[in-house]
Amino acid sequence: MSEQKRRPEDDGRDFANAAWSIPSYVLSGIIVYGGIGWLLSRWTGVVAFTPIGLILGVVLSVYLVYRKYGR
Amino acid sequence: MSTLTLLASGDEFKAPGLELFEFPPIINGVPWFTKPVLVAILSTVIVLIFTWSAFAKPKLVPRGMQNLGEMGYTFVRDQVARPFLGKDADRWMGLLLSLFFLIWIWNLMGVIPGIQFPVVSHIAFPFVLAISIYILKLYLGFKHQGFFGYFKNMMFPPGLPKPIYLLLAPIEFLSNMIVAPFTHAVRLFANMFAGHIILAFFSLVGFWFLFENLTPLGAPLGVLGVLMTIGMTVFEMFIQFLQAFLFAMLAAMYIGNSLHPEH
Repeated sequence: MSEQKRRPEDDGRDFANAAWSIPSYVLSGIIVYGGIGWLLSRWTGVVAFTPIGLILGVVLSVYLVYRKYGR
Repeated sequence: MSTLTLLASGDEFKAPGLELFEFPPIINGVPWFTKPVLVAILSTVIVLIFTWSAFAKPKLVPRGMQNLGEMGYTFVRDQVARPFLGKDADRWMGLLLSLFFLIWIWNLMGVIPGIQFPVVSHIAFPFVLAISIYILKLYLGFKHQGFFGYFKNMMFPPGLPKPIYLLLAPIEFLSNMIVAPFTHAVRLFANMFAGHIILAFFSLVGFWFLFENLTPLGAPLGVLGVLMTIGMTVFEMFIQFLQAFLFAMLAAMYIGNSLHPEH
């Protein structure tokens, strides 16, 4: 968020942006980091990488949404 | 096997399934011309006639069709276009209004007696619309922010600590470039697909237990089926409107984000 003056209608836009971006972001996070974790599991044979990747993906995407729209 | 032959052969209730969405060609030898295509074309003509009669000869004091059309226009402008496009809203009203009306009529075909098929429950239809919006979104993004600027604004939004970008940029990229258009289409498709199955299921329950296989024990279930059909039809009509609105709203959101990057 920048310092420029905010118009009231921007708040509605941000809210809708956030609301409709969250599922897309969380899904993407799961795919990217779950995918990396899955590949690591296959490569190293350590099964634990897949769930770690999945959870990391969710955490990162929620953090992204929080930083982008949360304040 | 179609539902009717199943009804005739067995004496057990069989819930409707995917055969609801399979249609033979209407004209022999033209495999693509099936009921969904016919309904889609018919709905397009309806939207054309409606908008033509509403907006072709506008009067200062709106009457009849123009009244109805202006109600729709005001709704789309105030709820869909303005919140996302601000002062650009009027330029995009043509696209958004057509999208909204077309999808709404397509969806409404799911509850019109005799037709009863929501067009977008065939996934190709929402995908074509979503891909068109996607191409428009990319074109506008490249045009207004530059090719690299668009990706920079998308993947590296300002205000994050530096090392985090490395972790978050892939999520942003995947979300905006692949997942967003995909969910845009699938949201509309899945709602209409599921709604159609629900309606078919409850009406078949009513039909089966009250007409095909009337028994003292089954009759109350049949009555319940009929009541549920009525209730779900009302609910479905609400969902149909909501999904048409959402599709147009998300289109406006994507266009708005391409015209003006998020802060």
